[in-house]
Amino acid sequence: MKFSLLRKWRLSLSVKFALAITLIVAGVAFTIGAVIVVQDWRRFHAELEEKVLLLARSVAVTAPEAILRNDYWSLYRSLKKMAQPETGDIRATRVVTAMVLDPEGRVLAHLQPKQHPLRLPLIPGDEDEARLLEAATSARSPTVLGGGGVGAEGYLEGMIPLYSDEKLLGVLRVRISTYELFLKARYSALLVLGLAAGLVILGSLLGVVISRRMVKPLTAITRGLEAVRQGKLMDVSTVPVLRDDELGRLAASFNEMATELAEKKELEEQIAVSEKLMSLGRISAGVAHEVNNPLAGLLNCIDTIKKHPEDRELMERYLPVLEKGLNRIKNIVQSLLVELRVEDAREESGLTCLEDLKGIVEAEINGRAIHLVWENNLDDRIRVHSRQVQQVVLNLLKNAVQVVPEGGTVTFRSFQDGNCVMLEVDDDGPGIPPEHRSQLFDPFFTTKPNGTGLGLWIVYRLVESMRGVIEVESEVGTGTQFLVTLPATEVRA
Amino acid sequence: MLRTAIAVLLVSLSIGVGRAETQTPIRFGLTAVIVQEHLRFLDRWALYLSNKMDRPVKFVRRKSYREVMDLLEAGRLDFAWICGFPFVQPRDPEFLELLAVPVYKGKPLYNSYIIVPKDSPYRTLDDLKGKVFAFSDPESNSGFLYPQFLLATRGTKPQNFFRQTFFTYNHAETVEAVADQVADGGAVDSYIWEYLQILRPEIAARTRVIKISPAFGFPPLVSSKRTEAKAVERMKSVLLGMSEEPEGRQFLAGFKLDAFGDFPPELFDGIGQMANDTRKALLWLASAEKRVPSETSRK
Repeated sequence: MKFSLLRKWRLSLSVKFALAITLIVAGVAFTIGAVIVVQDWRRFHAELEEKVLLLARSVAVTAPEAILRNDYWSLYRSLKKMAQPETGDIRATRVVTAMVLDPEGRVLAHLQPKQHPLRLPLIPGDEDEARLLEAATSARSPTVLGGGGVGAEGYLEGMIPLYSDEKLLGVLRVRISTYELFLKARYSALLVLGLAAGLVILGSLLGVVISRRMVKPLTAITRGLEAVRQGKLMDVSTVPVLRDDELGRLAASFNEMATELAEKKELEEQIAVSEKLMSLGRISAGVAHEVNNPLAGLLNCIDTIKKHPEDRELMERYLPVLEKGLNRIKNIVQSLLVELRVEDAREESGLTCLEDLKGIVEAEINGRAIHLVWENNLDDRIRVHSRQVQQVVLNLLKNAVQVVPEGGTVTFRSFQDGNCVMLEVDDDGPGIPPEHRSQLFDPFFTTKPNGTGLGLWIVYRLVESMRGVIEVESEVGTGTQFLVTLPATEVRA
Repeated sequence: MLRTAIAVLLVSLSIGVGRAETQTPIRFGLTAVIVQEHLRFLDRWALYLSNKMDRPVKFVRRKSYREVMDLLEAGRLDFAWICGFPFVQPRDPEFLELLAVPVYKGKPLYNSYIIVPKDSPYRTLDDLKGKVFAFSDPESNSGFLYPQFLLATRGTKPQNFFRQTFFTYNHAETVEAVADQVADGGAVDSYIWEYLQILRPEIAARTRVIKISPAFGFPPLVSSKRTEAKAVERMKSVLLGMSEEPEGRQFLAGFKLDAFGDFPPELFDGIGQMANDTRKALLWLASAEKRVPSETSRK
């Protein structure tokens, strides 16, 4: 209950700690206080019970003789003397009333003689009084009864039956106020309450201090983790290690972790830079190689044609070769510029454009026994960069058709998942061997004899340019699955 | 210096011892006719009398007049301050002699007061019918004989007229009983009541006088016939001479008295007459009750 409330209020740990400590201290202090007060009350009460009987006995000693002598005056005098406050006794108890009644309940002496005249039956004022009168006239041994509640009206009544030679002469009733007891108990209760409150205040202050000390490094670590999450590793200031305890060790290991993370990030950035340089080098080398190879043949042809300018036959033989070589160079350069090209074509359209690809792929199959499964489930209202998407899907499907053996299956599936467009190309070809997987998207990496090694590289660059993700799952002998996830630009209503 | 001090001490001791051995103390009985609670005042007066008598005077206190009278009869008291009612009782053989009578407000007389609580509605003795009444002493003139006489002249007696009566054996306590309303009425000595008005107004002022008796002879001081004549003579002159000298007047002022005077026993005839009348009336009442029990019981 308590903790769920705290949780509901979204209190910080330091406040919770302080509250918990305060609650515990308050609970202990008030429990002990209550026990003390109750025990005090009982002790005072027991003392008072003894006292009222003691007072009554002081009169009961001489009362029987006075009753026998009809000496009502000395009976009254002894009651009055008993009721007189003992001077100088700070614990004095107030005698509310006292009386001697005969066995029939008539007044033999009463401290309030005006209200209760001599030798007339005592008339009880209320039910409580009637109950006490009944108890008094039937008492056969000293008895103490209480009444009147706890406050100013509270009292204890001691009753002593008076005997002479085993004959019942009457009963002596002495009633003392428990107000002083109440005041005393209230005073001690207030004192205990005050002490408890003091303890609670001290405890809560202590709680605040302790929780501050406990929570401070935690707050620092949390702040550090927040910075780490946001990637601002350089912003992570070291958490001060104040103590040699669990929290201190936590702070220390957090600091170590933060330092290591920062170093790692730096290293990664360096690696990324060098990888960029490396791939740039690879591209340059590839371009050089791919362009250089035909160039050497082309220059050779041109050289030969220059040497024999009159030879028409030579010209006719070499011109197609020259054209083919230049076309190849043009293709390579165009492929390399794919990104520039798509930058120009940022037109968006529906996904029916994908249907246009079906014919191209079927032409690619070119009568081979390959089963093409086509499931285009996309809503035409979804907007995508159609040219890029077409290129991506086409490249993937061409690859699939090329690797699938006779009787194999190529599957294209497209669907929407939330705000994303999913494009899936499956084949049950031979799969990609593990050693090739890391180079899969590198430019000029190819396993095909006539491949340029730029197909998947283009796919990768296009997906990246559309802020999408491409995933590959492949198992040797089972097949390969490419899954492209693209954010849908817009759904037109 | 030390030697002289020891010598003086020895001399004073020998005098003290000599006196104690050779002279038996004079035994002086006191009753509730005076306020006996002022012990230090009475001790000083005892010392004063001792000095005047050249013999130690010892006060003997008893609760009731009866006890003091018994001691006088038994010869165990030399002097006593008693009430007029016991004094007028017939004695055979006579063992008392009138010694002195206090003079109060210029006369050797006092009254009996019937008092009620100050805020009570009672105005006459008849209003107290069926109530609780406090007497002082069964042998007190003012505190018992006079109210008994009043009722006897009405043809009734205390136990029939009042619902309940009790004795306090002390005029001062009768005043207290009425003030506290333990009793609805009481009979007291006028001298004591007025004395208490000054000395204990917190009690006496809560009472009110509804009836004043005729004047009676003030409670007298008596001597036992067994006391040697010389001592009686000396005590008489000491008492009568108190008003003549400053120290004695101080004690008289403490008692609120003017003097101790020499008066004839006839001063108490009024009490004697009243006692006689009462006795006769009670006897008549007793015989009437025997004749017609139902009639008197109805009263």
